[in-house]
Amino acid sequence: MRVGIVGAGGMGRVHTTAWQTTPAQVVGYRDIRPERAENCAERYGGRAYDSLDALLADVDVISCTTPTDVHCEIVMAAARAGKHVICEKPLARTLAQGREMVVTCRAAGVKLLVGQVVRFFPEYERAKRAIDGGMIGKPAVLRFSRCVSQPRLSVDNWFVDFNRSGGLILDLMVHDFDQARWMAGEVTRVYAKALSVARPEAGVDHALAILTHASGAITHVEGSWAYPPIFTTAFEVAGSEGLLTFDAESSKPIHFLRHQQVNTEIPEVPLPSNPLLESQYVTEIKAFYEAIAHDAPVRVSAVDGLAAIQIALAAIESAQTGRAVEIEPLAEMAEVGR
Amino acid sequence: MKIGIFSFAHMHAESYVRCVAARSDVELLGIADDDAERGAEFARRHATRSYPTYEALLADKPDGVMICAENARHRALAELAAAAGVHVMCEKPLATTIADGQAMLDACQRAGVILMTAFPMRFSAPVMEVKALLDKGGLGQVYACNTTNQGTMPGRSRPWFIDKALAGGGAMIDHTVHVADLLRWFLGCEVVEVYAQGNRIIHADTVAVDTGGLLLMTFANGTFASLDCSWSRPLVSQTWGGVWLELVGQAGIVSVDAFRQNIIAHGDHVGKAQNLFWGSDADSAMVDEFLAAIREGRQPAVTGYDGYKAMEIALAAYRSVETGQPVRLPLGA
Repeated sequence: MRVGIVGAGGMGRVHTTAWQTTPAQVVGYRDIRPERAENCAERYGGRAYDSLDALLADVDVISCTTPTDVHCEIVMAAARAGKHVICEKPLARTLAQGREMVVTCRAAGVKLLVGQVVRFFPEYERAKRAIDGGMIGKPAVLRFSRCVSQPRLSVDNWFVDFNRSGGLILDLMVHDFDQARWMAGEVTRVYAKALSVARPEAGVDHALAILTHASGAITHVEGSWAYPPIFTTAFEVAGSEGLLTFDAESSKPIHFLRHQQVNTEIPEVPLPSNPLLESQYVTEIKAFYEAIAHDAPVRVSAVDGLAAIQIALAAIESAQTGRAVEIEPLAEMAEVGR
Repeated sequence: MKIGIFSFAHMHAESYVRCVAARSDVELLGIADDDAERGAEFARRHATRSYPTYEALLADKPDGVMICAENARHRALAELAAAAGVHVMCEKPLATTIADGQAMLDACQRAGVILMTAFPMRFSAPVMEVKALLDKGGLGQVYACNTTNQGTMPGRSRPWFIDKALAGGGAMIDHTVHVADLLRWFLGCEVVEVYAQGNRIIHADTVAVDTGGLLLMTFANGTFASLDCSWSRPLVSQTWGGVWLELVGQAGIVSVDAFRQNIIAHGDHVGKAQNLFWGSDADSAMVDEFLAAIREGRQPAVTGYDGYKAMEIALAAYRSVETGQPVRLPLGA
């Protein structure tokens, strides 16, 4: 299996090193800034391509790790070329784009796999298994929190450009919207409040949302880019027969108290960390490899990615209008037969 | 000074009795309870007198009474005490309707007696520390708050908690008011809009009122705050629940867990793990404030109006659950 990376930034490198743990071969990179593709080729092998079409001609699969607003055009091009796609989350910048991507890939007979990577985080997956195993009965009140410092890419910080990334709610909170739906089922209504805390010029950086599920369950989601440099997540699921709680801070297995403060470099885009024998991204890409190579079932579908952005976009609308927003069932859902 | 207890319906009465009994300068007159058996039992347990009626207790001229009746019965008892010129500390929520709450405020004001709402979290040392931090500008402007007041379902030992007619609702009226009050106090302004969703999944087979609830409140200054008021702690939990607030402000993020000061006990004779609380006694500080306000002839630090405004937020939350949209405050009757 030959793989091409489209978008040779931070996530492009994460995908590359994950692909390197599979039998697939990363053959090259495409980036609108050619030097970045060249840097990756130099570091990881393969070559830099000067056009998407040229890259598509040489591969079976692409990893789309570009800014969100161009996911759609890249995925559509791949589908037209008959190539499978792994698309970073959030699936798309708009619901219309996401729908078009799902429908087109389906029609072209190519797989569209969306990198809702938190589904591959063992703490969330363990909770999901506990719920499915009936440990806590029926989920009733869920809480998710994901608080980090604002992404600050030194060049082209597209994360904070609402038109490109959808901002905090679409880029970050989409993880927990997906988790809420994974653990407690379809979401029917969203209400959200949002504001700018740390950098007023950069738009929304802190938000709270309440989701209502078709099952009657309710979910609280907190998302923040307004934190000091730290990546902290937490969740709890209160059910009819029990309670699951998780807090990243209190489950850290290692604490290192230094006699002297050292200046650790603050990452451009903070990612969570907790020692694991296999990174979550490797787990994810391995699963996607199996899905493509052997048609293995995969725990997150393109429609899941679509449903997650639908919730996020509704939360954005609610935060803007001050009204709760009803969520219509996705027509695409029926065709998946979930 | 003489203090009486009106009803032992609410378990907090036990704590208040202990707080009063511990003071050598205050005389605990006794307990009046419309459940005569309950009143007698608790009077025996606390070595105090059991009165056959509320009026009989008032006839012994208490300076103040502490109302620990079922929520819907607060009004009648407050009016009775006010008419006798007796100061009142009333368990939360102040009442179950706007009309009842307003009537209590009016009756106590007319009679010139104190109406204090029993909000012990105002006297929690960790919570007060955060209030002091805010007051000296340590956090700068507060933008958003994420809070919880979750607990175990209280209906097993006190069935009226899950009787809508007596409690006014379930988890949402029970567990909204404490944090709503703290947020009003912290922020120094009122809630202007509430969105809420509730459900009845936990204990669905035994409880007829809401057991799960989430609120998102918007304050007049634009700050918004969410609250999880659910009775979502399993009955086998290490603790009854807790109060936790996280404040996101200009200078950073502050969180406070009001019941964190515990030693955790395991043991072959302990059964499930237990929290042994070693923090300061907020109930005692609250009772002291009631007594001091009576003695000094002043308003207490937390008033009946505070109780009314917190109740109003809970009632607005129920309206929002019904409509599925945010509800504006203040509420009309």
